[in-house]
Amino acid sequence: MTHNWETGPILRAMSRNKVGALLIALQIAITMTIIINAIFIIVERSALMGRESGVDEANTFYLTSTGFGSAFNASSVIDEDLRRLRGTPGVVDAVQINAIPISGGGWSMSLKTETGADIDGIGTANYFVDEHGVDALDLQVIAGENFTASDVRLRGRNQSDWPPVAMITRALAENLFPDTNYADVVGKTVYIGNDEPVTVTGIIDKLQAPWIGWDRLEHAMLTPEKMDFSSTRYLIRTEPGQRDRLMAEVETALADAYPNRIIRDVDTLTATRERSYRRHSAMITILTAVMVLLCTITALGIVGLTSFNVSRRRKQIGTRRALGATKPAIIRYFMLENLMICTLGIVLGSALTVGLNMALVQWFNQTALDWFYIPAGIGVLILIGQLAVLGPALRAAQTPPALATRTV
Amino acid sequence: MLSMTNLSKVFRTELVETHALRDFSLHVDEGEFVSVTGPSGSGKTTFLNIAGLLETYTSGDYTLDGQNVFTLNDRQRSRLRNEKIGFIFQSFNLIPDLNLYDNVDVPLRYRGMTAGDRHQRICDSLEQVGLANRMKHLPAQLSGGQQQRVAIARALAGDPRFLLADEPTGNLDSQMAASVMGLLQDINQQGTTIVMVTHDPELARQTQRNVYVKDGRVCDEAAPVQLATVNE
Ligand SMILES: Nc1ncnc2c1ncn2[C@@H]1O[C@H](COP(=O)(O)OP(=O)(O)OP(=O)(O)O)[C@@H](O)[C@H]1O
Ligand SMILES: [Mg+2]
Repeated sequence: MTHNWETGPILRAMSRNKVGALLIALQIAITMTIIINAIFIIVERSALMGRESGVDEANTFYLTSTGFGSAFNASSVIDEDLRRLRGTPGVVDAVQINAIPISGGGWSMSLKTETGADIDGIGTANYFVDEHGVDALDLQVIAGENFTASDVRLRGRNQSDWPPVAMITRALAENLFPDTNYADVVGKTVYIGNDEPVTVTGIIDKLQAPWIGWDRLEHAMLTPEKMDFSSTRYLIRTEPGQRDRLMAEVETALADAYPNRIIRDVDTLTATRERSYRRHSAMITILTAVMVLLCTITALGIVGLTSFNVSRRRKQIGTRRALGATKPAIIRYFMLENLMICTLGIVLGSALTVGLNMALVQWFNQTALDWFYIPAGIGVLILIGQLAVLGPALRAAQTPPALATRTV
Repeated sequence: MLSMTNLSKVFRTELVETHALRDFSLHVDEGEFVSVTGPSGSGKTTFLNIAGLLETYTSGDYTLDGQNVFTLNDRQRSRLRNEKIGFIFQSFNLIPDLNLYDNVDVPLRYRGMTAGDRHQRICDSLEQVGLANRMKHLPAQLSGGQQQRVAIARALAGDPRFLLADEPTGNLDSQMAASVMGLLQDINQQGTTIVMVTHDPELARQTQRNVYVKDGRVCDEAAPVQLATVNE
């Protein structure tokens, strides 16, 4: 038997019992608004969290060594520490470094391609490393050359001038010299601090700055320096699977090797990433929970309203069956009714979704929603609605036609 | 037209078995107007429900319009109800949220007719029961007699071969009952077979034949005139 869609009668019947339907439509609209914006934020945050630092994070840890006493000779202790670290089985390489990528703390400077006080510089993070930096950080020199041991100079505690050579990341090279191929940036001069010239001798594929919220996150500059500081950091890269064992071993070995210092803040880059991105992951967790909750509440609301309607209309359903409605026709009735309520909710929800996104863009620096989130959200809401209504609709279809004569 | 032979219907619950019908045999010919009377609980509604394919039976034979209905599936039974049978209920069973037009439209939509066809039939059948001018009214805005007329219009719109009425005047005062009865007689005149369950001997007398049911059996197929004495 062919079937007429009962859109008109359903709409007219619904218009006489508006409140329940309108409340559900409103709930759908709000759910849609929130889940679409939430998913968008989650996707964005996940993308941020997915950015790579360029470092071999899984196999890297670092620690701080702080010497004390007048007899403490930082320079020689550092040499000896590095020799010891690099000679430890399981260690790929180790380096003295001033700051840890994505850790939240570090150095930054402004670079210029021309001298002059009126010229705006471009910000970069600064890492001081020796010729082992590339290996220890697991970087790739994609143009030019890594530092050699003879490039490395000693930087004193209060020294503020810069060595004559540096390596920079590709992103920094391309921002400094937008019209030049990054490989051709090798050999060029940039100006740092008080217009001190520094020659770029190498381009690094990728290395992030310490500040994950910074818009210049991909800008990093490596200068060949050994820091003559009594408190300093070592970054150690290990063979896969050796990190945790070596963390404990190295800590004791360094402490034992030179008692007049403290080894502290031994930490992995994995933990550092987790800490740095904690706000993002917390946001994702909260938004996910809110979404699940809202969808559940909406689904339950639909189940509730439909169940109520099914029991309220039992006699009507029996009568419809008596008048020739098949079971599928009864199911279709409730599905269609729900689809119509959903449609109202979706229309309202689309407007609210865009509105909320515009507000977020305006006040919270959020980016504008990609258009395809709206149809995707509509699909999800319709699916939730249809699934929620299915149970009560199937129950409605089980109403015996004899109910038409058996009830008053 | 309708032929039941040795039909039985047993309602089983955990505690009791009710033999609502036993050895129930009845034949109704095309064009007849038959009334069914009997004490409360005797099985009249059960018979009507089985006749109208609203319920299945336990054993026996039932052929409707030459078709054995026992083997039909739910979809086929729905279709048969929709196309061949018109129902009139004691409490009208109009859908309260739909106006008269939409109420009459209900069975027609299940038949998948075009909008134009449906419109014509709805108007014609409402016209026939004298309510064409009230199409946009809700059932609650009508008297009981008028509501039953709408229900009759709904049953007629599908142009059934066969009209089943379970105490159609049970909720109406005698004046309204008389007008509904008159309407049924008109319909029967035009060729529709009618089976009507009633408690009212006066109405039963106005039909061509009365069937008296007691304890789930056709007790006495009496002429309507004799009935008044039998029926309490
Ligand atoms: N769904 C059911 N389950 C169990 N027993 C039922 C069911 N429907 C009807 N019965 C029983 O079947 C018997 C016949 O009932 P039925 O409704 O056919 O009587 P009736 O003649 O229509 O009575 P009334 O004149 O009061 O309407 C009764 O004993 C009734 O209790
Ligand atoms: Mg009855």
